Amino acid sequence: MRRKTMRRWALNAAAIVAFAVTIFPVYWMVVTAFKPAKEIQAETPTFIPANPTLRHFATAMSAEGFWRFWANSLLVTAGAVVLALVVALLAAFAVARLRWRGRGAFVVVVFAAQMAPWEALLVPMFVIARDTELLDSLAMLTGVYFMITLPFTIVTLRGFLEAIPADLEEAALVDGCTRAAAFRRVVFPLLAPGLMATSLFGFITAWNEFAFVNVLIIKDQANRTLPVWLSSFRDVFGTDWGATMAAATLFALPALALFLFLQRRVGVGMTSGAVKG
Amino acid sequence: MSTRPTLWPYLLIAPAVAGGVFLLLYPLLKAALMSFQHFRMGEPIRGGAEFVGLDNYRELLAKEEFWQVLNRTAVWTAINVVLIVVLGTAVGLMLVRLGRRMRLLLMSALALAWATPVIAATTVFQWLFQSELGVVNWLLGTRGFTWFADPVAMFAVLVVLVVWQSVPFVALTLYAGLTTIPAELYESARIDGGTGWQVFSRITFPILRPLFALITSLEIIWVVKCFPQIWVLSQGGPDGATTTLPVYAFKVARVLHRYDLGSAAAMVTVLLLAVALVANLRRMLRQEGAR
Amino acid sequence: MKHRLLALAAVFALAGCGSAAEKGPSSAAPAKLTVWIMDGSATKELLAGFEKEYEAAHAGVDLDIQIQAWDGIGERVTAALASTDAPDVIEVGNTQVAQYSASGGVLDLTGKVADLQGQDWLPGLAEPGRVDGRQYGIPWYAANRVVVYNKDLWAAAGLDEPPRTREEWIEVTRKLNKGGDQGIYLTGQTWYALAGFVWDEGGDLAVREASGKWRGALDTPQALAGMAFYKELQALGKGPKDADEANPPQHEVFAQGKVAQIIAVPGIAARVLEVEPDMKDKIGYFTIPGKTADKPGAVFTGGSDLIIPAASKHHEEAYQVVKALAGEAFQTRLAQTMQFVPNRTSLAKVLSGDEGTAAMAAGAANGRATPNTPNWAAVEATGVIKQYMTAVLTGGDPLTEARKASQVITETLNSGS
Repeated sequence: MRRKTMRRWALNAAAIVAFAVTIFPVYWMVVTAFKPAKEIQAETPTFIPANPTLRHFATAMSAEGFWRFWANSLLVTAGAVVLALVVALLAAFAVARLRWRGRGAFVVVVFAAQMAPWEALLVPMFVIARDTELLDSLAMLTGVYFMITLPFTIVTLRGFLEAIPADLEEAALVDGCTRAAAFRRVVFPLLAPGLMATSLFGFITAWNEFAFVNVLIIKDQANRTLPVWLSSFRDVFGTDWGATMAAATLFALPALALFLFLQRRVGVGMTSGAVKG
Repeated sequence: MSTRPTLWPYLLIAPAVAGGVFLLLYPLLKAALMSFQHFRMGEPIRGGAEFVGLDNYRELLAKEEFWQVLNRTAVWTAINVVLIVVLGTAVGLMLVRLGRRMRLLLMSALALAWATPVIAATTVFQWLFQSELGVVNWLLGTRGFTWFADPVAMFAVLVVLVVWQSVPFVALTLYAGLTTIPAELYESARIDGGTGWQVFSRITFPILRPLFALITSLEIIWVVKCFPQIWVLSQGGPDGATTTLPVYAFKVARVLHRYDLGSAAAMVTVLLLAVALVANLRRMLRQEGAR
Repeated sequence: MKHRLLALAAVFALAGCGSAAEKGPSSAAPAKLTVWIMDGSATKELLAGFEKEYEAAHAGVDLDIQIQAWDGIGERVTAALASTDAPDVIEVGNTQVAQYSASGGVLDLTGKVADLQGQDWLPGLAEPGRVDGRQYGIPWYAANRVVVYNKDLWAAAGLDEPPRTREEWIEVTRKLNKGGDQGIYLTGQTWYALAGFVWDEGGDLAVREASGKWRGALDTPQALAGMAFYKELQALGKGPKDADEANPPQHEVFAQGKVAQIIAVPGIAARVLEVEPDMKDKIGYFTIPGKTADKPGAVFTGGSDLIIPAASKHHEEAYQVVKALAGEAFQTRLAQTMQFVPNRTSLAKVLSGDEGTAAMAAGAANGRATPNTPNWAAVEATGVIKQYMTAVLTGGDPLTEARKASQVITETLNSGS
């Protein structure tokens, strides 16, 4: 018995260490954002701000274009994620539920598409956008982000779909449902957590992207997005760490909020999509 | 089971294929083409480009720096992937054994780390490891130590950053996988007197082998292609100590405006990745065929 | 299912062709001119005032002045030059203008030099803007670094005279560097300060050989002597060895009141006061001392040129904007507001009476530019000089490190474009 208690104790201690290491950078970002400049520059760092201030957030939010870039980012990211989910769901359904020639090849190609060297496609993508008059348009960005997230979305959704027994659908078919109706009434509700979990991955990827913005959005500066703003923010404020951390916090907020929201609803199902290789 | 099997699947994958052709294959071919051309700052501006055959590849392979970068990329990938998978597995196993409240706490922390956007994370790490005011130097009592100036230290900081960001995915995915293993299997193993390691190697690992294979190949792809973290923190420095293949390709292209040579480097990267993962791709194809 | 697919196809098509219809030819309508100004070049009020006056004087012109961040500017300007509808006027750094001019994407303004009174342009701005005898970049403004000092700390140390030679400077700085105060806050990667010290010794960052090839020259005895002086000076304070003056921003550090000197453009005073208004009347300036009292230290002439992309749809209107920005009226206002040196030597008189700009003008007499080749911008972008400095300051062997860095510079400068 004593041995078991000791074990329990060691396990919890290890968990606390893991927790601390994992959470610390995020915690430090938020804490620094609330510290007045004097405290940030102090020789001995404080772990809880003595005089919390909102000044850095005010600086960050009042920076020119913040809200505009925020809205652009949200539009492009949401557009890309929704598009990728819909397109991926169709493909994932075909792969998980139907038998057809070329299916294996398709799966392998989708997996391999994750190796795409996106940094090397900046110039070709620029040329394509220029020649189709799509420079400076958010639609082009949406399209690119859609494609960046699509392969992983298909792989993950397929895993979620296969985790749902096909018998359920067949039972519905036997009951006289059409294939589409069976999917809508039986599979879709079960798939919802998977869809949400997958959307988060797409969200984080697209929300982060900045290399393409720099070459695809040129003249119409109002169409820039938040990550570009964050990098230029560091430029404008030198490295005013308080304001930079406030900006980083504001930047991370939507992704973190979405995650916490989803985790509540989805719980463990969060990542089980990838379980089925 | 399907009555009209012929056309439906192809219609369903059509949008994905169309997207892939226009937004991935076409630009990829353009990039490949570029690697056989004289394509520098003037070409996109003036239009037109001259074919130079394999000149760019020849130039690339003749560079001593390229081979150093290649080596470094291999070391970088090995260190990161091993750390990520080992630590991720450890945390995943830990999650299963924890009490409900502790588990929720740790999972939330992992989720937060995972969901923190790369740009925000790199910014934070710059601040954590800052030489005069950074909290890491304060904790270690090494005030004034310049992490970003020392080749080994810089490399280490980047490893910490990438591992920190990647472990949550592995841990949470494995945890989800572990919960699907029936508890009876463990019970019987315990009764047979198996140690923790034996249980893992005889039961857990074999059952989750496909999952491990998937995670490992995904991590290899992600780590090899890892770019924004390195670029923002070190730009491949100091003294080239953190220049991996994608960073090298980007540097050559965007800094020197050698889009042709950069494309060649990117093509080589993709080729190497494909070769490294060919076993896995084959296995996938075989599995799909067997269904 | 079918109608769903159709809907999908529609969504997909949308993503593909978005706002193509939004853009139409605009040459007949009132010209909307986009002007890119770099961050930190002018205050918002100054630009807003210019925009208002310009639009009032030129009916049918709508100016859209955009502030550009330095981060990633190289690829943005390249992309702009390669686009079909480029911004109409772009401000580019004087160390970068050559590569854009050489690319073929910039409008040749050789015929306009006389109209712009280019006979007495600052050479440090006009020369990089000229390629093969054709003038592409129009000089806009220049600035060079001086020593900005804290008068209180100087008084406390019993000092009043600014040093006239390097030796005196070191001596003074050593006196100031005591207790909790830093004699000088010099970050390890302030490479243009190093450039000045190297030039003082008679060395250079890179030299062009008789064959026409460039060679990195940080490993010459002169350049190494410059680096040795930098190291000696840098040690008299706590400036981080692995960062440049933006990490953390040196005006903030200076504003804390515990730093006796920094090397900066005089215009930094405004930013210091933003952080700490109490610093007013405490900020002094002197020219960077040279090796001997009769000659000020060599300084890097920083500054900007204006270019008109060939892909601009309004060449003539754009030229008029350039002319106004480079003209006497705006130059005077810019120089006075930002404490910059105007683009023509004959306008230098507008600076008289200000302590900071007087110190700067004295230094400008010994102003130098970075090696005049389109590839220099690439050397800056690789950060090789900064890395070299950090390596030496953190204990690396100067000669070994200098050889490595020079090698990289040589390769970069000779890679064709």
